[in-house]
Amino acid sequence: MVGKGEAPAPREPEEEEEDTGGVVKLISAEGFEFVVDKKAAMVSNTLRNMLTSPGGFSETRQGEVRFPEISTHILEKICQYFYWSLHYSSGKETAEFPIEPEITLELMMAANYLDT
Amino acid sequence: MYIRVKRNKSTYFIQCEPTETTLSVKQKLHSLIDQPPSNQQLVLLGTNDVLEDSKTLADQKVENDSVVALALRKDDNAFEEIFIARPEDFMSSS
Repeated sequence: MVGKGEAPAPREPEEEEEDTGGVVKLISAEGFEFVVDKKAAMVSNTLRNMLTSPGGFSETRQGEVRFPEISTHILEKICQYFYWSLHYSSGKETAEFPIEPEITLELMMAANYLDT
Repeated sequence: MYIRVKRNKSTYFIQCEPTETTLSVKQKLHSLIDQPPSNQQLVLLGTNDVLEDSKTLADQKVENDSVVALALRKDDNAFEEIFIARPEDFMSSS
């Protein structure tokens, strides 16, 4: 995850058959639920692998992924980042993605885990 | 843009355009929560304005990343009180 306006490297176009429709529910340590578009969640390579691997993880077949290690504030920030990234990674326009200093460390750890 | 629709412990990220109406957002929510638009009330957090179905989001100052509270119709036909849970109340020991 990047703090400034640098967009992540553009992704290779994926095979046609990939299913990016629908939504996925991400659940935080405190049991809060965030419902996001699959294509937003796939900004995270970890989630992308979970959602697209053949057979699938049991959680993702039900469209739910639990993150017992990620607190609600951080998970919400991550979801906001997914949408920010969807919008700005095309590179035409940029805006800064705001990150409060006090959550930086926790957010980076989560971003590392999610490969985002 | 997107907005965050919150109720209790759930947050729905809804992709939408400023030119869209409130009703159109409610229809998107319908597919997620199984409640028809007529049973949904959306309230913009900050101003506490109830969003009107026929107006656009831009008209009602709903912007990218806005938080909107969702209230559902109760059995007595009135809308429930707005309630958004706070993570602080669910902290495990940390």
